[in-house]
Amino acid sequence: MSNETNHLNAGTQRSATGKKGVPTRVELSNGIRLILFENPALPMISMNVMVGFGGRYEAEEQAGLAALLGDMLDEGTERQNSDEIALAIESVGARLGTFGGYTHSGVSMVALTDDFPAILGIASDVLQRSTFPADRFAQRQARTLAQLTSRKDDPRTVAGDAYRDLIYGTTHPAHRPGIGYPKTVAALTRDDLFAAYRKFFIPNNIVIAVVGDFVTAKMVELVEQTFSTWQPAPDFVLPAVPEVERQREPREKLISKDKEQLQIYVGHLGIRRTNPDYYPLLVMDTILGSSPGMTSRIPRILRDEQGLAYTTYASITATAGMDPGRFTAYIGTSPGNREKALNGLKAEIFRIIEEPVESAELEMAQAYLTGSFVFNFETNAQMAAFLLEAEIFNLGFDYLERYPDLIRQVTVADIARVAQTYLDATNLTTVMVGPISSKD
Amino acid sequence: MTPAVSDGFSPLTRNVRRTVLPNGLTILTKEVHTHPIVAAMIWYRVGSRNEELGQTGKSHFLEHMMFKGTERLGKGEIDLQTLVRGGRNNAFTWLDFTAYYFTFASDRWELALEIEADRIRNTAFAPEEFESEKQVIIEELQMGLDSPFEVLENEVWATAFRQHPYHAPTVGWLKDVQDVTVGEMKDYYDRWYHPRNATVVLVGDFATDAAIARVTECFGQMPAGPVTPPMKIVEPLQKGEKRVVVKKSTPVERLMIAYHAPEVAHSDSYALHVASMLLSHGRTSRLYQRLQEKDQSVTFAFAQYSEHIDPSLFYIQAELKPGRKAAEVEAAILEEIDRLAHEPIPEAELEKAKRQIRATYILGNEDMLNQATLLGEYETIANRPELPDDERGFRYLDAYLKRTQAMTTSEIQAMVRKYLHADNRTIGHLVNEDRATTEPTIPTGDEEAAA
Repeated sequence: MSNETNHLNAGTQRSATGKKGVPTRVELSNGIRLILFENPALPMISMNVMVGFGGRYEAEEQAGLAALLGDMLDEGTERQNSDEIALAIESVGARLGTFGGYTHSGVSMVALTDDFPAILGIASDVLQRSTFPADRFAQRQARTLAQLTSRKDDPRTVAGDAYRDLIYGTTHPAHRPGIGYPKTVAALTRDDLFAAYRKFFIPNNIVIAVVGDFVTAKMVELVEQTFSTWQPAPDFVLPAVPEVERQREPREKLISKDKEQLQIYVGHLGIRRTNPDYYPLLVMDTILGSSPGMTSRIPRILRDEQGLAYTTYASITATAGMDPGRFTAYIGTSPGNREKALNGLKAEIFRIIEEPVESAELEMAQAYLTGSFVFNFETNAQMAAFLLEAEIFNLGFDYLERYPDLIRQVTVADIARVAQTYLDATNLTTVMVGPISSKD
Repeated sequence: MTPAVSDGFSPLTRNVRRTVLPNGLTILTKEVHTHPIVAAMIWYRVGSRNEELGQTGKSHFLEHMMFKGTERLGKGEIDLQTLVRGGRNNAFTWLDFTAYYFTFASDRWELALEIEADRIRNTAFAPEEFESEKQVIIEELQMGLDSPFEVLENEVWATAFRQHPYHAPTVGWLKDVQDVTVGEMKDYYDRWYHPRNATVVLVGDFATDAAIARVTECFGQMPAGPVTPPMKIVEPLQKGEKRVVVKKSTPVERLMIAYHAPEVAHSDSYALHVASMLLSHGRTSRLYQRLQEKDQSVTFAFAQYSEHIDPSLFYIQAELKPGRKAAEVEAAILEEIDRLAHEPIPEAELEKAKRQIRATYILGNEDMLNQATLLGEYETIANRPELPDDERGFRYLDAYLKRTQAMTTSEIQAMVRKYLHADNRTIGHLVNEDRATTEPTIPTGDEEAAA
């Protein structure tokens, strides 16, 4: 173990902005944005790295590219093969995962403080020097194809895929499942992975959050040193993604599956995370269908009063991201309850658009959202995820202080306005999967 | 990295105080001041293990009824009061226990105690609420039956256990759930929900003495409750392999191999925990290397030793790739178990497994609720009077750390040979039932409208 390792958390030195409870944001010379937050509670450090690459940027005929690339990142580098990487991580009991999602790919890791520098070295290697060995590629591609078959067994997954497909149409990348399609995954090559890796995995397209047991100045130094030779691509810009509009007509799809329950998704296009009405909509979600227990309308009425389901909810903010997410109402119910469940979901969507919510409901939702905010930062990994969200959506780190007011400002009239603006009880996409006969 | 130090306490158990009130209520408290949060739980030592034939699913059903209000709190009030204080609550039921939790900001957590102290004896069993909740539970049960692994697990446990109540799934058998009456539910509640049979666990940002005083104030005056009847059923020794085949419409086969294994804190159990790590913890583990890397026959596989009050199962599950057959993967897994039993375990591999156990201890205990859950679970299940003080109840967690670290190759191999052998196992295969031509469908009436 090298000398720096033992000094990461030593002494009482604090950087100017690194006092307890305040994140520090640093831009490294090659463009990496680094956000740090000290938490000495336990001898461990979490780090999340987000690269601006995901399914959002892949071509239709390459659907599944980002997911497979994310899966392949730790399968071999110029310095270590996949067995050596796995052994180095597991022999110290650390965790390192790589991923390729919709808007971002990257690495997330957690290690005991003393082991962190070594695991950081692996993360750096994986981000800069992956070689995607041919035998590993063939194996991962085959496993993805197998997963594409086994996921057909999960009716909720099948319903979710069909639902997104109807909502986003054929031109927007969000209509595809992240894992891709059997045909597109089978056609992917190592060259496809290399092309995307070379283009998108560059320091000026990366944000890193580190949270845990360290002194900020020393961690900045260590990260800077680790990534110092990585050259930025000054001309890089993220490709544009087509706009998508909310449907103006009802859409429906029924898929027959030999299952006990019927999966029902109802909804339409939602909002971006940066939408200024995000906060009133978050309060609306809490009233309509997303608060814990049986307190919000849809679980209270459809589950607690009518006994139609074990799981039922609705939300528009849960999927809000770089692109518009989805307003979704869901219920899993016995096939005999189909009409009652579907009508029940639609009636509640209709009601929140047409009738003002009660002020008591609003106050309860606000009390919940402000009072439970503290739980979003209990673990280092949660804190790292929040810091990345704040960076990516430009929320500002003072968001932590502003959040309670953003929620408390919301009025009954605001909820009525946003419900009328962002929800449409008539032009809905409806997808049902289960013991039902299907016809296209 | 030294989670276990000379005083015998790990970071998880250090500073945990156990208080037992005169009425038998156990209280575990652990102050953690890293976040202004408190996790408050109550554990009842009752689960599907305590259910009679024809009455399965009662423990879990009762858990649902505990949210339906009391004489003081109307229906929905428990969730509502939690909500307006920005808290969260939920509950879970398993073979040996039923547990309820709240997490609150630390200036308002005592509400959790007030609610638990109320519903431990005053839960309302309104017949109309009971019938409505029965429908919710049937939906939950059906949802489970749509998961192929859950169906396979149900069959393997039911096959491995002929007499012991671990035979039945915690959610119960459908007909039993349909038939249970509100009177039977109330009787069950009156038998099991008392201070004598409960443990309160508090982890987080509070002052211990004041917290214990508050628990005492809430629960101290209650009668201890009846002495709970002992569960005397012992599963007879299995003398020969059992097999079960489950047919379900599915594109891929699944496999489960289960061995009878000792109860929690049994001296043989520690070696089996290390064996489980060697077999399936991470990409360097034996099953991963064999099934994912070499044979490339599965999409995933894992080994699990779930410990319970009574002897339970050490099992391996695998989801096969399309076209692969359960028999072939079964043979590969049995070969790996045989290798573990008979070939020397390299020192580095054993050290890695031990280090993983230690690291998991620290990395997995960041949040208060996790810590409260571990403390409560072992306080509830590892409570045999014959266990020494420093291995009984939540102290089992220290024994686990200490004794797994001390395991040698020969001890591990002896236990693998003793338990993971043919006569002691039940093997389940889930295979496709092709119902394409006979699939029953419910006419929807509006097929023409389908997009």
